[in-house]
Amino acid sequence: MAIINVSAGNEAVLVLGDSAANANIAGSDGLTVPSMQDITINNSTGVFRFKTLDNTAESAVTTPATNQITLNVVVDDAAFFGTGAGSIDTVVDEGLFGVSKNKTRVFFNAGFNGTDATSKFVSGSGFISGLAPTVNMDSPVWVTPVTIEVDGDYTEGVVS
Amino acid sequence: MAIRSDLLTDLTTNLSSTSVAVSTQVPYVSGDIPLYVKNMKKMYVDEEQQEITELYNCLDNNDVLQTETTVNAYVCVDAKTQPTDIDTVVSTCLNAKNSIANTIIRESSVENEYQDDKIIYTFEYRFITV
Repeated sequence: MAIINVSAGNEAVLVLGDSAANANIAGSDGLTVPSMQDITINNSTGVFRFKTLDNTAESAVTTPATNQITLNVVVDDAAFFGTGAGSIDTVVDEGLFGVSKNKTRVFFNAGFNGTDATSKFVSGSGFISGLAPTVNMDSPVWVTPVTIEVDGDYTEGVVS
Repeated sequence: MAIRSDLLTDLTTNLSSTSVAVSTQVPYVSGDIPLYVKNMKKMYVDEEQQEITELYNCLDNNDVLQTETTVNAYVCVDAKTQPTDIDTVVSTCLNAKNSIANTIIRESSVENEYQDDKIIYTFEYRFITV
């Protein structure tokens, strides 16, 4: 049992790719999202509650979850607008903005404690949404929220 | 020390037609007396003071930093018979902040202090760059 401390700077990692293989957290083909300020992995189940005459309290069952990854990033031009062409991965080429407006399915690996062997991550696929780059003179660097609307379930994994 | 240098250039140019001159020396103390008190009607610009703080803290330690730079400048005049263009001098000195490029905050202020029969104007310039 141990807490997961991410202060080393290489622990909380999000890798995106146009295939599960390219999004491999230990690989180099996908887009490792730079300058993340925070990341939240949501696994929010719905709840169905019902009452019965023989019970003094409500009963509850959970319903399928809404899975969503939300993060805030400082905008990096290559990560946001892509490198243009030439890589083997669409997400790298088109960037977060490109895959969002093109509605391209992205695969992800979200690492909890780095990319070394036995490190934990969750994976899945979904669509980029919620981009809203903003800047002002008090904080004169572009920042944007990013949401990955996960299609289906998460898969827990361990870096091999 | 580019900011101090740019301020000196601007002040030297814009105060050239006034009764106040600009020295390139820093305002050190000579014989217990600061240079700006010893040499009245001469402006001295101090060295820059800098503070670097985090604007955005990132999980990959690729933090975005901002630098706050403060520069003080001093000029001393006779309080009994002030130069007739002292208002122009003060406003010119305050406006020197506009000569610094690529900053997100450009501020200046002036404070007055009496020492015997002299009045010391202390200008403070504050700049924030990212």
